[in-house]
Amino acid sequence: MRLPGHILLRSLCRSFLLQASWNFERMQNLGVLYAMGPALRFLYSGAQLKAAYQRHLSYFNTHPFMSAPVLGATLAQEERKAGGQEVSFSVEEFKGMIMAPYAAIGDALFWGGVRPLAACTALFFAVKGSLLAPLVFLALFNLPHMMMRLWGFFRGYARGVSVVEVIQRRRLPDVAIRFKEGTIVLLGGLSAYLTFSICGRQGVEPGWGLLALPATYSLIWLSRKGLSTLFLVIAGLGLVVTFFQVVS
Amino acid sequence: MTVVEFSLAGLVAVLCGLDRMALCQFMISRPVVAAPLAGLVLGEPMLGLTIGALVELLWLGRLPVGATIPPDDTQIAVGGTCLAIHIAASGSYSEPVSLALALMIAMPLAKSGQLFDHMARRANDNLGRRVERFLHAGEFVAVERGHLLGLVHFAVAAFFTFAVVTGLGSLISMAMVPLVAAYLEPAGYWLLIVFPLTGAAMILRSIRINHSITLFSASFASALLMLWLL
Repeated sequence: MRLPGHILLRSLCRSFLLQASWNFERMQNLGVLYAMGPALRFLYSGAQLKAAYQRHLSYFNTHPFMSAPVLGATLAQEERKAGGQEVSFSVEEFKGMIMAPYAAIGDALFWGGVRPLAACTALFFAVKGSLLAPLVFLALFNLPHMMMRLWGFFRGYARGVSVVEVIQRRRLPDVAIRFKEGTIVLLGGLSAYLTFSICGRQGVEPGWGLLALPATYSLIWLSRKGLSTLFLVIAGLGLVVTFFQVVS
Repeated sequence: MTVVEFSLAGLVAVLCGLDRMALCQFMISRPVVAAPLAGLVLGEPMLGLTIGALVELLWLGRLPVGATIPPDDTQIAVGGTCLAIHIAASGSYSEPVSLALALMIAMPLAKSGQLFDHMARRANDNLGRRVERFLHAGEFVAVERGHLLGLVHFAVAAFFTFAVVTGLGSLISMAMVPLVAAYLEPAGYWLLIVFPLTGAAMILRSIRINHSITLFSASFASALLMLWLL
């Protein structure tokens, strides 16, 4: 018994609410149940339906975007199970095995790679005073985001548990490293441009802007000592104000 | 700030607050989007854009992994924009001073966001137990609706954070700004360099790649020198 297209589409749309009831005890479990609900109601009834709902109430936590291939593959598993076909792993085993590695891949790729790269690119527009900056950020971030959601979900459904190999072939951790390297280069350029423009506004020779580098190293050192961002900003502002009070 | 302006900014705060975790995560919650959006509804999009650019880098390197609750930079951006508009309207302060003071007030107050977020997640724990009762009773539709109640918890948490940052922040700014603004004026735009440099330092600390500081330094120095030469 194949799941009809409109049920798959409903599950995909519902997966955007995966974290609506995120909780400390079982994290995304209710979100998974909410996304799978229409498919489970189509596949099962009575006691079997209750058992299927109970199956998906267990602990679940992964990266929200990487949940798409997991949900797609889980739907395929449920479909086979409901049709009486043999499955290599139980639904619970599959979800349990895959959630942690996918969480790590998603965190590194989307939070550690795509988001900083999109933000640094958009900030160039922002510092030039262009209101396109938010749109640039949203476009750059959401292109890979939506690709993973859509491609991952349907690929997961089509390939079942072997979606793991498909994802593995994409070498996403390597892609994340390239994005991070790009971010660092853009961040350096952005910081230099900001320093240059402030030097210009304050009538200071831009060469003095190189002093921003040792200032940044000091901030890195202090943050490694455990000082928070909030403390560093307040202390930094205090130092700048004190310096100019003394000078003037 | 009028009631209409507060309500409009509150709406942006809730919408962006939901995007942080509970709803879609299209990243309208990032400061570079949320602050100009708040500025737009309050008639000052450029001020919002500047606030967004200053706040964006600060916690960009913090990953929302597992049960950790990162600082609420969304409400710093939205609340900071409201405060910057309020401060700029309340006296003849220069732009960098208004921006720096708004963020100096908004950043500590937004720590309350982590507390409210924690409370929302705790409330969702109870939701999980309620859903199990529905399931035992065979009420499948109620099980699914129970999940959506979590959105209400996160929305309330976002609104409370916004109310603390903007409400309490406005009161603090009325008392504090006339006293301290004069001390900040001589520093001018140098005040603003603190934000991107701290943000860059925090990203360099948290990003896990080889030679990140060398790469950053080379990029910084070459870009600055090129800009100087051109």
